[in-house]
Amino acid sequence: MGWRWFHQWGSPRWFYERAGRWQLVCGWLALTLLITGSFWGLALAPVDYQQGNSYRIIYLHVPVAFLAQALYAAMAVCAVVLFVWKMKLADVAMQSIAVMGFAFTALSLISGAVWGKPTWGTYWVWDARLTSMLILAFLYLGVIGLRAAIQDPDQAGKACGILVLVGVVNLPIIKYSVEWWNTLHQPASLKLTEKPAMPASMWVPLLINILGYYIAAAYLILGSMRAIVLERERRSAWVRELVSRA
Amino acid sequence: MSLERRMLTRELKLIAARPGDIFKPMWFLMLVISMVPLALAPDSDLLSEIGSAMIWVATLLALLLNTEHLFQSDFSDGVLEQWLFLDRPLAWLVGLKLIAHWLFHVLPLILITPIAGIMLSVPTDVLLALLVTLVIATPALTCFSGLGAALTLGSSRSGILGVLVMMPLFVPVVILAAGVLIRAMDGSDTLPLLALLGAFSVVAATLVPIAVSAAIRLNIGGSN
Repeated sequence: MGWRWFHQWGSPRWFYERAGRWQLVCGWLALTLLITGSFWGLALAPVDYQQGNSYRIIYLHVPVAFLAQALYAAMAVCAVVLFVWKMKLADVAMQSIAVMGFAFTALSLISGAVWGKPTWGTYWVWDARLTSMLILAFLYLGVIGLRAAIQDPDQAGKACGILVLVGVVNLPIIKYSVEWWNTLHQPASLKLTEKPAMPASMWVPLLINILGYYIAAAYLILGSMRAIVLERERRSAWVRELVSRA
Repeated sequence: MSLERRMLTRELKLIAARPGDIFKPMWFLMLVISMVPLALAPDSDLLSEIGSAMIWVATLLALLLNTEHLFQSDFSDGVLEQWLFLDRPLAWLVGLKLIAHWLFHVLPLILITPIAGIMLSVPTDVLLALLVTLVIATPALTCFSGLGAALTLGSSRSGILGVLVMMPLFVPVVILAAGVLIRAMDGSDTLPLLALLGAFSVVAATLVPIAVSAAIRLNIGGSN
């Protein structure tokens, strides 16, 4: 026993089979939560007295913005695991998280812009949170681009790991400097309207949706990890067998 | 002669062999600065307001242009491989290379920015602040762009990828430097921000060479 639970993560085949089952669980769970949360949030929750119905985009925007930031931290954890335990699966995870992270960052920027037009009257302002989200998107793009440029997957993974670790150290500095910059340049010209404390009928569906999006992200990441494992292990016997059976 | 001195002399000899490498970024900087009034308007009030920020961005770009291939020739002629066999830590040698690069390639770039400042009618005290911020901030920028250069060493088709990858990390430096310039324009105290900028540079200069040496090892040793 002992370390077995840990070492089995080193086996791509073990992961491929298990992840298929986890993915099924995650998929149904996410679907249930998202349908419940979205229906509750979009149809049943009360209208905001200041923003009207346009506030309802928070049921998409807030979860994806949370995820966009959390995934970078997750990627950094994978980078540490890659360097400390030389676990190839961590590199696979890093590769899929980078793409998902960029997608969620882009989605949060786009959904924010769509909400900003009716609320602020403009798609884009150089608000601190918007700016640091944009920088985050560039950081994700850098990780994706670096991997695409290096042919050897092991080498690409390690280079990305270095980049991600340097990035994660810098991320808080970037975030705080952007906030400071924002107070320096534009003193509360376009501030988010002071939000009233949300009633439970508004924040409970939000919470459900946040949970739902997290699990949906896990579903997507597991799926792309399985695909990457298959591709990287394409010369091994078990993958050939799997493919020939299909 | 100590190894460190020999390394610096070698850098100088390399520059003497190809002096064009120093001048191209300066040339680029002056060209970018000449484009500003052409694109905007030859209005000296307007120019003096945005001039220092434009010079900062132009210097940043010129520095990136300069550092993009920092390790390329040492990589292809095998010098980096020899570094691994020396009785010095790789991070220390990388640090030396970065210092040499800063002294011989970045400092000349900073030294011509006053000319650009005069062209954009930047006031003298702001120009002074600009010079100080550049001297304090460029070590951090040099380290980060060196990391970008080291990470993309092995791939022949990376293009300007090293620059693209590292540029988001410049954000805090640019913001702090802009803060100094804004304060210099109103004549308020710039020292606290300069201290923060200096702190950022010191931390970057201490830690980034370690990351750079990991990236170099990766490109030379393959999997180890």
